[in-house]
Amino acid sequence: MADQTGTQQLFDMWKKQVDEGTQAWLRMAGQGQAPDPQAFWRPFMDQGMQAWSKVMTQGAVSPDLMTQWKQFLDQWIAAWSKVLEQAMGTEPFAQAMGKQLESFLNVSGPVKKAAEQQVEAGLAAAGLPSRTQVIGLAKQIAGLEDKIESLEDRLDAILARLGKKERE
Amino acid sequence: MKDELFTMTPEMPSMSPEMLARWQEELRRNSLRMKHFSEMVMNPKEPEVGPTPREEIYRKGKSRLWRYASKRTHKTPLLFVPNLGISRPYIFDLMPKGSFIEHMTQQGFDFYLVDWGVFGPEDNDLTLEHAVTKILPRLARKALESSGAGEMSVLGYCMGAPLSLSWLASTPEFPVKNFIDMAGPVDFSQVGLFGLWLDARYFDVDKYVDTLGAIPADMVKMGFKLLKPTMDLSTNLNLWWNLWNPDYVAGFNALNKWANEYLPFPGEFFRQWVKEYYQQNRLYKGELTMAGRPVRLGSIRCPVLAVGAKEDNIAPPGCVKPLVSAVSSSDKEYVELPGGHISLIAGRGASVHCWPKVSSWLAARS
Repeated sequence: MADQTGTQQLFDMWKKQVDEGTQAWLRMAGQGQAPDPQAFWRPFMDQGMQAWSKVMTQGAVSPDLMTQWKQFLDQWIAAWSKVLEQAMGTEPFAQAMGKQLESFLNVSGPVKKAAEQQVEAGLAAAGLPSRTQVIGLAKQIAGLEDKIESLEDRLDAILARLGKKERE
Repeated sequence: MKDELFTMTPEMPSMSPEMLARWQEELRRNSLRMKHFSEMVMNPKEPEVGPTPREEIYRKGKSRLWRYASKRTHKTPLLFVPNLGISRPYIFDLMPKGSFIEHMTQQGFDFYLVDWGVFGPEDNDLTLEHAVTKILPRLARKALESSGAGEMSVLGYCMGAPLSLSWLASTPEFPVKNFIDMAGPVDFSQVGLFGLWLDARYFDVDKYVDTLGAIPADMVKMGFKLLKPTMDLSTNLNLWWNLWNPDYVAGFNALNKWANEYLPFPGEFFRQWVKEYYQQNRLYKGELTMAGRPVRLGSIRCPVLAVGAKEDNIAPPGCVKPLVSAVSSSDKEYVELPGGHISLIAGRGASVHCWPKVSSWLAARS
């Protein structure tokens, strides 16, 4: 027989940790008024506790224990998902993300440019075509392909007109 | 002492035969879980995807047009336009009995797939307008020529829907027989989290494109992962739970391969996509132009079916549904089906809900 008090304590600890984590996360995301995370946890926590209590107090442990555990985890993930979605769907979060992205661009932009210049210089020194030259060539080929296609289209249109005239 | 241990009868709680059988089944599943897990880790196999036979009809730059032949019991062929960038199109033909394309060909539709291809730095100047006014019309014309039909149905999935709508609404002379929007955003003011994150107040698309050139696949991946941060956790939990089932494992391997192959966006394409569609909502407002031609959704008069997915967080139903009121068609319908953005078209649920709905709707009009 399992120790029901021990299980209860474990769940209480877990619940406390989850609650605190969520609150901290919401504060971090800059949510003005944090929603009550208890509202998310309570239904599935209660359900989970009931199921576990039942399992732990009955004589033989049934394989349903696994199913109940899986359901418990599913609900836990779903609740987290809901909380995160709510936090990420706020203007402060979008603003914070935009600022973070901008800082990233401010740093990565000059680094990228310097690296590209260094690679170009290295390739030029080795007498090899640079990345810019290869890309330029690929663009020219694409442009050529477009021109051929437009000629093909014109030819098709002329042939269609000729065919129509012949039939007349 | 030793003998005593071996002869001791364990004190087992009383167990009914039914309970014993269930425990045996649970143990069997656990041993299968271990077996499949060790196979996945020690001897991973590359899943075979894209099983339906096909032929390349045309190639334009990186883009290709594929034809999946059928017995052609319906004379109107179907052109399928998926998203450009983000992911590869084999999700629509993932595995035998798990393929939208296989389903449609079995239903007698000649199926033409637009495969936009994988764009590199040389394609950074490729604009959305070029894709809509040059690549798409040409591939559609080639599909028509190949089929010998006078008209064709067009199905746009995800971003493919606003792209094909932009093309069709600016080219009313194209002989489109039917149009299906599957999880494709139309009213971008209702587009959910992406709409908020890409809002012009917070997201400077010009700086982004000017700095990075192309939008790297890793950035695309990050954006999508952020949309549902618990996705990986629930995917792995479900995998463990179903690991005993070889069919589930095969499906998981194929889907997992696809889910981890993100594709980059050409820079200019991304700029136009974010600015004109997400930030300015020009398609829905009727303010968009393509190659100097106005894009008016009201100029679409063919039968239209819009399909939204109830749990779609990329194109929520609220941004798909408005298409029905924006077009001038007299034959139009909106349906909301169970599932998310991907599970609407791929997976077990799709074969029950979405595929039969789409094929029966088209069959009645093809």
